[in-house]
Amino acid sequence: MILDTVIYGNVTGFDLLKVVVFLIIGVLIARVVVIYLRRSLKDRLSRDIQEVVIKVIYYTIIVIALLLVLRLLGIELSGLLVAGGIVGIVIGFASQSIVGNLVSGFFLMVERPIKIGDQVNIDGTSGFVEDIHTVSTIIRTYEGLYVRIPNEKVFTNKITNYVANTARRFEYVVGIRYTDDADEAIEIINDLIEEHAIALKDPSPTVFVDNLGDNAVNIIVRIWAPPSEWYDLKMEMLWKIKKGLEENGIEIAFPQRTVWFANELQKQEVS
Amino acid sequence: MTVPGIFGLHDVPLSIVREGISLSIEREGEGLFYKRKCMDEEVDNVFLSSNSKVLINPIEPLNKPKELTPYLLIEFERSIFIEPAARKKIFIKFPVEIGIFVHGKKDYQIIDILTMAKQKFTLYGSVKSGVICRYWKSDIYFTMPEVNPVYEGLIELSMTNTTMKWVEVTTAVFNAYGMKIYYSNDMVSMKANMRITSKKIAETGFVGSHLEKGMKRSLELYVSRKIPMIATKFLMEDGI
Repeated sequence: MILDTVIYGNVTGFDLLKVVVFLIIGVLIARVVVIYLRRSLKDRLSRDIQEVVIKVIYYTIIVIALLLVLRLLGIELSGLLVAGGIVGIVIGFASQSIVGNLVSGFFLMVERPIKIGDQVNIDGTSGFVEDIHTVSTIIRTYEGLYVRIPNEKVFTNKITNYVANTARRFEYVVGIRYTDDADEAIEIINDLIEEHAIALKDPSPTVFVDNLGDNAVNIIVRIWAPPSEWYDLKMEMLWKIKKGLEENGIEIAFPQRTVWFANELQKQEVS
Repeated sequence: MTVPGIFGLHDVPLSIVREGISLSIEREGEGLFYKRKCMDEEVDNVFLSSNSKVLINPIEPLNKPKELTPYLLIEFERSIFIEPAARKKIFIKFPVEIGIFVHGKKDYQIIDILTMAKQKFTLYGSVKSGVICRYWKSDIYFTMPEVNPVYEGLIELSMTNTTMKWVEVTTAVFNAYGMKIYYSNDMVSMKANMRITSKKIAETGFVGSHLEKGMKRSLELYVSRKIPMIATKFLMEDGI
C-alpha cells in the first residue's frame, strides 16, 4: 500500500498523513480558541489589545502543533536547533524584508504608537487603522480604500496619530468689516462656542483679533474638542459663527479696494 | 418641587405633558407608538410588543447629546477649604437625564433618553493623559436645597481629608460605572464620597443608599457587574 511506502528513514506515507491530520487539527483548535476568545474578550478588552492577545495565542497553538508533528517526521528538536540556526541564516538572507517587517511589527506592538481604530497618517496615507498584522498594517482610508503598509515602512516613517491625545484643537480665521464692532463679534462667537455641548469648556476656547488685514479685521477662533468629534464640530461651528454674526449685523468682509481720485471726476454728458 | 407621576412604572397607553416634556405611548394592535418632544428634540418610534409597561427613571447623566465619556465633572461655584483630618458633608447638584425603558417578559430595554439640563463637555487633566468629562457647575449647600427632579438631582458628598493640612477643593469627578441613583416624585439623589489623600489627589466613589426614606433605586445604564475589570471609582490625580 502507498501508506506503507517508506519516504525517508523510518517515515512512511502513513506518518505523513498523520502529520497533515495533526496540523489540520492544530489549526482547527487554534481557530476555535480564537472564536471563543473573541466572544469572551469582546466587552473586557479594547479591540487592539484583544487582537494582540488573540494573535499571540493563535500562533502559540500553531507552533506547539508544529513542534509535536516534527517527531512524526523523525526530526528531533535538538537537531532542529542546529539545523534551524543554519536554515535561519539562509532564510534570513533570502527574506530580509520579511524579517524586517516581522521585527518592526513586534516593535510596533510593544511601542504602540498606533492602535486598531485610531485615525492616523503614515507616510502620506491617512485613514483608520483596521488591523496590525505581524508583517503589515492595514489602513482604511477616508475614501474607503484598503491600503496595506509593510510594518518596516510604518516603523521607520513619520506617524501622525490624530486621536492619541484626549483633546484636539482647530482654528478659524473670521474676517469682519472695519465698520463692525470686533468686541461684539468676539462676544457673539464666545457665546456660540459656550452653547455648543461638544466644544470643550476646558481647555478654554480663545477668540481674539489677530491682525488688521487689507480687507478685514481678522479674528482668530481656537476651539478644543474630543478627537472623535473634532471634524464634525469643525464643519458645524464655522457656519454657525457666520450665521450668528450676520444675525447681529456683522458681515464677513470680502476683498475690496477704495479708489481715491486726485482730481474731481469730470462729468461728461453722453448724448 | 413635586412632580407627581413622572418617574416610575407606567401602564400603556401613557401621556405625560410636563415642564417642556411631551411624551405619549399608544397601543395599536401589536405595536406601541412612542412620541416624545423635549427642548428642540423630537423622537417618533414604533415597538412591537403585546404586553409591555413603561419605566421612566433618572439615569446616569452621561448620554446626551451623545455618549462620549463615563465621567462627570462638577465644578463648585465656590472653593471649599477642608480642615486637616476631618470628615465633612455637603450637598451639590448634578444634571438629570431621564431614561425611558420598555418592560416586557422580565427584560428592560432603553428606548429613549431625554434631558432638560444644559449639556457641555470638558477636559480633566492634561491634553495628553486627561479624560473627557461631562461638565456641570454647582453651588455648595450644607442643607438639602430644593431641586426640580426633572432638571437637577442632589449628591450628598462626604469629604474626608486624610492629610494633616488644609486642602482646597474646587472640583469633583465621578465615574458613571459606580453611580447609584435613587428617585422619588420630588427628588433624584446619589450619595458619594471623596477621600482626599493629598493637596492634589482624591478618590471619589458612590454609596448604595438613598437620601430619604421611600426613594426607589433607578435602573441604570452603566452597569459594571457584568464586566468586573471596569473600575467604579475615580482617582483625581490631576488636581481637586
